[in-house]
Amino acid sequence: MTTTNAPPATRNLETVGLTKSFGGVHAVRDATVTFQHGKINALIGPNGSGKTTFFNCVTGMIKPDSGSVTFRGEDITRRAPHKIAQAGIGRSFQLCRIFPRMTVLENMLVAVRRTRVRDLLAGARNPEEIDKARALLVRVGIDHLENAEARNLSYGQQKLLELAGVLMGDPDTIMLDEPAGGVNPALIGRIGTLVQELNAEGRTFLVVEHNMDMVMSLSHHVIVFDRGRPIAEGSPAVVQSDPRVLEAYLGV
Amino acid sequence: MPNASDTRPARRSAGGRASATLPDGAGALPAPVPPPARRPGGRVVRLAALVVGVVLVLAFPSMAPNAYILSAGIVVASYACTATAWNFMGGFTGYVSLGHAAFFGLGAYATGLLVRDLGLPSFVAWLVAGVIVLLVTIPVGIAALRVRGASFVIVSIAFVLILLLVFQAWGSFTGGSDGLVVPRPFPDLLRPEHHRVFFYLFAALLAVMLLAWWAIDRSRFGTGLKAVREDEDKAQALGVPTRNYKLVAYVVSATFTGLTGGMYALWFGDLDPIFQFSIMLGAYMVLMALLGGVRHLFGPLLGAVIVGTGLEYFKLEFGDTQFHLVATALLLGLVVLFMPDGIIPAGIALLKRFGPQDSSIREISAAELLERNRAAAGGPAAPGTGEDAAPRPRTGPDATPDDTEPSEDDR
Repeated sequence: MTTTNAPPATRNLETVGLTKSFGGVHAVRDATVTFQHGKINALIGPNGSGKTTFFNCVTGMIKPDSGSVTFRGEDITRRAPHKIAQAGIGRSFQLCRIFPRMTVLENMLVAVRRTRVRDLLAGARNPEEIDKARALLVRVGIDHLENAEARNLSYGQQKLLELAGVLMGDPDTIMLDEPAGGVNPALIGRIGTLVQELNAEGRTFLVVEHNMDMVMSLSHHVIVFDRGRPIAEGSPAVVQSDPRVLEAYLGV
Repeated sequence: MPNASDTRPARRSAGGRASATLPDGAGALPAPVPPPARRPGGRVVRLAALVVGVVLVLAFPSMAPNAYILSAGIVVASYACTATAWNFMGGFTGYVSLGHAAFFGLGAYATGLLVRDLGLPSFVAWLVAGVIVLLVTIPVGIAALRVRGASFVIVSIAFVLILLLVFQAWGSFTGGSDGLVVPRPFPDLLRPEHHRVFFYLFAALLAVMLLAWWAIDRSRFGTGLKAVREDEDKAQALGVPTRNYKLVAYVVSATFTGLTGGMYALWFGDLDPIFQFSIMLGAYMVLMALLGGVRHLFGPLLGAVIVGTGLEYFKLEFGDTQFHLVATALLLGLVVLFMPDGIIPAGIALLKRFGPQDSSIREISAAELLERNRAAAGGPAAPGTGEDAAPRPRTGPDATPDDTEPSEDDR
């Protein structure tokens, strides 16, 4: 664990009374959640408990019906997704999403932090950006594929590419939607190590995950969702022994 | 199969952290090899093709045996302009607009009316018409780009149909179905000379568009647009302001289409709403761009040359029937069936199949890679031979499975 390196817990990303319904389905109901700054936060809960909808509300992909999202003291509720990304929240998708017909290196050059006209008209193959992209590809271990079309990568490699692509935008907070979904145990270990390393560098993580081993070994702070709202939170050990959690999720 | 690739990064991380040489040796080597092998020859060929193309275009008016062929050449050139203009939107963002004829007609009528009613000099009117199209496109784009996919196609058609009805019905202003006669910009020129001048004007407009497309293609803006084409939500999650990007691409595309329409008005001199605001014209643009290849700079141009020439030929041969439409539809069907990415990618793939020296990532074998590593070691490995010898056998077999990996997923 890298807890010793992590900065003290302060407020990073928080939601107050976040609510979103689809027709009669209350996907997220009055969710008030505070994520710990500089820590690895995990969001767990049974299928259909509203984790991904919550995720999408925070990152602006879905507009919440009511409630607010605050990032580093700033209200980002209902901002466009790209503004939220530029503010420093990077995210991955539940079913890994990359740009299939672009090469691995081109995938890496999509992330945008600033949109000044001068930056936009500059060549895409800026040497600085390419060096940065290559360093990140080396870091996740797919640098030898930089000229391959992304659709030709295996699913595990695509997951690594997605993570590396998110890192190109230098986010201080990274939201991962099921990073361990559909990948083999060795790669789960690799992704876990990457998350810990990146966290040790000061990045806050928010991870939605079903793999309990990963959640319990990786996270500092666990929030449990059930039926669209948080029902418990705390350290992995505390959450694991909470009777409400056992009833709702662990099924024991 | 995914096992081999998935475990690999993990495997490397185990050793890679300890010795920094392993990622360099295993990673840097195989990937950059294929492009340099292809590029020097490719660049010469490409440059030669470009020179030949430019010379052919410049020489065409002198080579044309008669005024009819020359005027057919101008029609093809104007098609090439519209298809290339369409590709600023369709190619980069993947938004298929069937209604780009709206901007063509708007540019044509704006130019004609500015010359006729305000007495502006022809080419001043042409530029002002371009600005008018640009300004009209902004609100239209904001509205149309709220939807994606098939809905966008329908909205784009709606706009051209609305304009068709307006320009037909408002006869007192636009001349309606009686047509609008646009005064010729060079009244002193004889007809063949007039054609020659306009052929070069269209060619110059096309050159400007190709240059703009090339510049966008290699810019960060272009990368953002292509990301929109691949996965719009994902692009936005990476910070790309997708809505503004799409709007800019749409406006650029429409303005160039409008300028082409204006040029057409000055050349042809007679406008009728049914031809200027025609669904067929919009469909031709899509067909030409798809036929050539929307991801390639010269794709729409090539498509326009093929489809445009075909259309002119069929109109000449079967002029009193609608056979040219049947032929065009057949062509579209063939392209969609056999060359969904267009002629240029299909051609490149064909060339690749015949070119053994053109090794792509997946064709390199373990033996070849080992050979190359040995050769590379033989040259500069003067000081640390003993040290170099150790990681090499590890690098070779380790790197090869990954090189062949993509091919298995691909085909």
